[in-house]
This record gives sequence, structure tokens and C-alpha cells, in this order.
Amino acid sequence: MFINWKLREINLKIVYYGPSLSGKTSSLQYIHSRTKPERRGELISLKTREDRTLYFDYMQFEMGEISGLKPRFNIYTVPGQVYYRGTRKLVLKGVDGIVFVADSQIKRLDENVEAIKDLFEDLEELGFVPEEIPLILQCNKRDLPEIMPVLFLKENLGLNGVPTFESVAVDGVGVLDGLKTIINQVVTKARGKINSTPA
Amino acid sequence: MNQGLHIPEELLDQIEYILAHLAEKAHTDSIVLADISGQVISLQGIMDEGTPAVVAALAAGDVAAMAELSKRIGEDDPHGSFFHEGETRSIYLHNIAGSFILIVIFRAETPIGLVRLFAKRAVEQLVPITKEFEKVMGPPKDYNPDDFSKGITQELEETFGNE
Repeated sequence: MFINWKLREINLKIVYYGPSLSGKTSSLQYIHSRTKPERRGELISLKTREDRTLYFDYMQFEMGEISGLKPRFNIYTVPGQVYYRGTRKLVLKGVDGIVFVADSQIKRLDENVEAIKDLFEDLEELGFVPEEIPLILQCNKRDLPEIMPVLFLKENLGLNGVPTFESVAVDGVGVLDGLKTIINQVVTKARGKINSTPA
Repeated sequence: MNQGLHIPEELLDQIEYILAHLAEKAHTDSIVLADISGQVISLQGIMDEGTPAVVAALAAGDVAAMAELSKRIGEDDPHGSFFHEGETRSIYLHNIAGSFILIVIFRAETPIGLVRLFAKRAVEQLVPITKEFEKVMGPPKDYNPDDFSKGITQELEETFGNE
């Protein structure tokens, strides 16, 4: 979170995290397509030659002024492949909220579990208390055959009690519901921080 | 860093003064001061709407990658700098104490030595100011955080429409 009291702007960072090919970039592309053009910036994607995310995907959107403060949201995805862990960690710097995009297919359970383990380890290494970061679970690819029940997936990820959304990111199903929830969580937490800071 | 930054007007004024001085002396096009997570703190010069945010996000990735590269060759310098030489415009990036990034964009005909000299001087002035960021907190008295929370729901609908 960065608040510029001179310009009356509050900047918040949300990261879409998850295993490779789970639908993080598709989610961001849908969010970009649904954001009013006058409120969104360019969608930046740093891809490999194979069209996979290398550094990150990034977009910014802003909202109208609320209570004299203009919110700007910086949305990032991380590269999912195991060997890009260093990049994932740098994208998590200064994060305010996380959407964990899980691949619902039964055969991807291990990758999901490994990714959530990496996420918590990365957050700790960056000095966060992982439980204090707003987090939601987006169970993606719900349109495919041979998928895990949501409760089973949550249990295996250790995310019982975390707000959960079923999605089909390529069609946009469930993506905005998840985004709106994480934004509300992030804003609620930011309000608490602002209230508790000494004037 | 993970507790967030609240930068009051006085410090932003000081930063703007330093960046304006750098722009004048080094004949730069534009300058962005960002934090290491890619958030824009201050802009000097003219850029299209939205461009500073993209520049800051990409520079943060670049600086982090360069810091990792440096470690691989036995360097661990949180004050490192590097630059991209373009045909018409070049970019100079300076890592400030591992927490902030000075991004200077200048025309290719401007000598890099000139930019490097005045950028280093600017960084020396910026370091003590950035150290003050975490100490000075608190919103103005007329700000009501409860109204802010309530307004978000309506603004979300305005931004994305209904599904």
C-alpha cells in the first residue's frame, strides 16, 4: 500500500499466484477486458517465446474518488513454472492481497500444493505474516472433466475458511466475483492500517 | 516495506525539488521515483496517463533481476545502477538503498556521464528523505476511512459493471 497524501491517491497491489497454466494470465486478461477503458491502463505481458509468462503480467486500474481519496489497483500475475521462483518472490514485494488460482484438475493436485507452500514460504522470507495477508482461492477450470471437489481442494491446500470462488477464467466465469472480494478485503485491511497509524 | 508507505506533502515537495533539479541539470525527458514493489512515488516531466505506473512496474522487475544477477557474480550492492542505450531515448536506473528506484529517461544525444553524475547527486539527497518515509505517518484530519470503505462497493460496479 502506498498513500500519496499530496495527490490523494491510494495504491494497492494484488497478485494472482498459482501453479503453471492454472489460469492466472487468463484471469487478468478477462479483468482487463471488463474494466472500463477510461479507468484502465495497458495490459503488459512479459512472455517467453512459447507464450508463457516470464516476469509477470501487469495492469493498473483506478476508481473514482472516494472520500477524497482516489484508489489505484496494481494487478500482477506471477510466472507459474517452478524455476521462476525468484521472479514470483519479487512480484510479491509490497503485496496487499493475493488471489490463489488453483487448477481444479485431479492430476494437478501436487502442483497446487507445491505452489501454496512456495507462496507461504516466499511471504515469510519477505517479512510478512502470511495469515495476515488478505487471500482468496479461485478454483479454476471448473468446466473440465475429472476435477476435484472444491472442499477436497481447499482441505489439501490448507485453505479452509478462505473465501472461495469457482471459475472458468477463459470465459470470465467467477473471475470478477473473486476480484471484487479481494478488493473489499484489501480495502478493509487498509482502513484498519490507516486508522491505527499515529497522526 | 510490507507495512505500506504514507508519504506526507512536505517530503513529496522535497522529492519534487530534487527531481526537478536533476531534470534541469542533466537535460532529461522524464524521471520517475518508484518504490521497489513498483509503485510510483513521484514523476518529473510529461508522460501519457498510465505510463509512469507501467514504467515503475517494469523497472522494479528489472532492478530485482539485476540485483540477482549481481549476486551471482559475487556483488551485493543495493545501490547499483545500470542503463539501456536506445537509438532516440535511453534509460538510467538507480537502485536506492534496495528500497527505491530512480528511473531517468533522456535523449540519446545527452551524455550518459552527465546523467550519471547528477543522478548520483540526486540519490545522495534522496536517501535521507526516503529513510524518513516510515517515520512520518497519518492521514489528514478531514479524511474519513469509513466513508472510503462504503464507497468501494459502488465504485466496483462503476468500474466493471454488472456480471
